[in-house]
Amino acid sequence: MLQEFRVSFFLAYEYLTRGNKGISLFTIFLLTLVFLQLVFFSAILGGVTEKFDSQIIDYQTGNIIIEPKENEEYIEDYDGLLRKINAYPEVIGITARTKGAGKIEYEDREVGATILGIDPDDETTVTKIDSAIVEGDFISKLDRGEIIMGRELSGGYGALMETRSLGGLEVGDTVTMTIGPAQKDFRVKGIYTTFFFLSDSSAYINKADMDEMLGIENRAHEINIKLEPGVDEEEFRTTLQGTGINEKIMVWTEFTGIIEMITSTLSKIRDILNIIGLLVTFVIIFVVIYVNIINRRKQIGVQKAIGIDRNVIIGSFVLQAAFYAFCDIMAGFILMQYGITPATKAHPLWFPVGFVTLQVSNNEALFRGLLLFSAAIIASFIPTRRLVDKDLLELIWGG
Amino acid sequence: MIRTTDLTKTYLMGKVEVPALKEVNISIRKGEFVAIMGPSGSGKSTLLRIMGLLDNPTAGTVELDGMDVLKLSDREKVKIRLTELGYVFQEYALLPELSGLKNVYLLLLMMGKTKKESIKEATDILVKVGLGDRIHHMPHEMSGGEQQRVAVARALVADPKIIFADEPCANLDTGSSGQILELFKKLNRELDQTIVMVTHEEWHTKYVDRVIKLKDGLIEKEY
Ligand SMILES: Nc1ncnc2c1ncn2[C@@H]1O[C@H](COP(=O)(O)OP(=O)(O)OP(=O)(O)O)[C@@H](O)[C@H]1O
Ligand SMILES: [Mg+2]
Repeated sequence: MLQEFRVSFFLAYEYLTRGNKGISLFTIFLLTLVFLQLVFFSAILGGVTEKFDSQIIDYQTGNIIIEPKENEEYIEDYDGLLRKINAYPEVIGITARTKGAGKIEYEDREVGATILGIDPDDETTVTKIDSAIVEGDFISKLDRGEIIMGRELSGGYGALMETRSLGGLEVGDTVTMTIGPAQKDFRVKGIYTTFFFLSDSSAYINKADMDEMLGIENRAHEINIKLEPGVDEEEFRTTLQGTGINEKIMVWTEFTGIIEMITSTLSKIRDILNIIGLLVTFVIIFVVIYVNIINRRKQIGVQKAIGIDRNVIIGSFVLQAAFYAFCDIMAGFILMQYGITPATKAHPLWFPVGFVTLQVSNNEALFRGLLLFSAAIIASFIPTRRLVDKDLLELIWGG
Repeated sequence: MIRTTDLTKTYLMGKVEVPALKEVNISIRKGEFVAIMGPSGSGKSTLLRIMGLLDNPTAGTVELDGMDVLKLSDREKVKIRLTELGYVFQEYALLPELSGLKNVYLLLLMMGKTKKESIKEATDILVKVGLGDRIHHMPHEMSGGEQQRVAVARALVADPKIIFADEPCANLDTGSSGQILELFKKLNRELDQTIVMVTHEEWHTKYVDRVIKLKDGLIEKEY
């Protein structure tokens, strides 16, 4: 076995070093592109998925969300809860919000929006809305009657759904907000964009204003918690549940809904692209090896005739394919690691979710590489075996 | 050394049976240099291939040193072809990517010899066939006669019981043909090498010990 391998290796080495190097290089080049395609798309889709996730955590929910008990509309006396949870070392920030579906009017236009009543100081410990301001400023604790809104509401600043916005509202303008029976004027203090339309369709006002409009006190619709990086969200939820908190404790992933749908669609696309990539690899290797062996029919017959084992002959071609696959995986990996990934880090690609950098894990790349390698082995094995098992006389003397 | 009994080969061309060999009985002794001759289509190649375990007869037996070789499995036949039989084909049938030395070396490697042994033995044998100074040349850098000598070296390297050669000089000019035949003669004389060669050329017979003439799949005469 080992000895047969030795002979196969010798033959493969001689074919590769003495054979047509142009064809070898071209094959490796093509396969490198296929491998890059496999890893690249995978990395982009990985990057987009990760962006979706961070959009949710950083601009909407934080890591953990506490909602009112079953059949209750509010979390009562949330202050105690805030203090209790904030004492955990895993917690970086915590905030309480009231929410409402409202209508915002400006001149002759109006939009419906989710309005969040926030404690501005607490909010910035959980989300990054304050750093997404593109015009004006974030509201502060003492500001009353002021509002900040996402670009999809204000219009302008590259909003995607301009026609459904208030149409070029500017900082300093006054809008009228209606929530239920309550109505109140707000001065626009800032406009923000996270580059993701779902996050950019909200408006933030001071919780005091919101509570006043809703006619409530000391109550919140939700509490949002930001955890230290790396803390396991499910575990922390279990910890909280064990401390006698009766409110509903949820992890951000339960809020993803549509995002979940998008990311699972992306991962399906990713799978399909992978299959196509493998097929392309298979076909390229198959054709290259097939042409190679068809031109050597007679030689292969002679090798069989003089006593070279069939496994050795098959092995000599499979090893060539393995070499091609190995080279293109290495080339692809190096290009990815030292070329494309750093380049997208420096110049992130813009997608409708925001700027995306490639996310390739080495394991992922290794896995793709292994798949491609297997495709190459099979694609070279099949035609070689078929030819080698042909009748000797037909190989040497047949047409 | 090798003996055939009632060797018969019938090719089937569609529905028509083409008899190529009709109950041929041949016996070749160790150390003989035998030529098989006869008109085109008389069954020379067919006979040689069957004796060389490259093809199976329709009926009859082939014995190599008293062993019925047709009963062996394919794998065992491959082994015998590698270690006990040598072949020289009409075309030089070398691997074009391999130098003369490596074409020979390949077989030694296949037989399980070490790299060092293989290189030494391959070099020795190439020197013996008179290619000492061009062992590293690629086949396309050699003349037809030189390539055929590499093929002879390759056939010889396993120290085979019999070398089979099917018109080894068909593609060579008279001069090169003479050299190959001289080489065969020398191997036959010095190493007591058994050789069975198919040929068309009457003048080749002066190198051989015995001539078997075929006609229409039958032995016409021997001398
Ligand atoms: N593969 C085959 N299929 C059918 N008939 C065949 C096949 N090979 C040989 N024959 C027939 O068998 C007969 C003997 O052929 P063979 O090749 O042994 O002749 P030969 O003496 O070597 O001829 P040549 O001198 O032309 O090489 C011929 O009639 C040939 O047509
Ligand atoms: Mg013939």
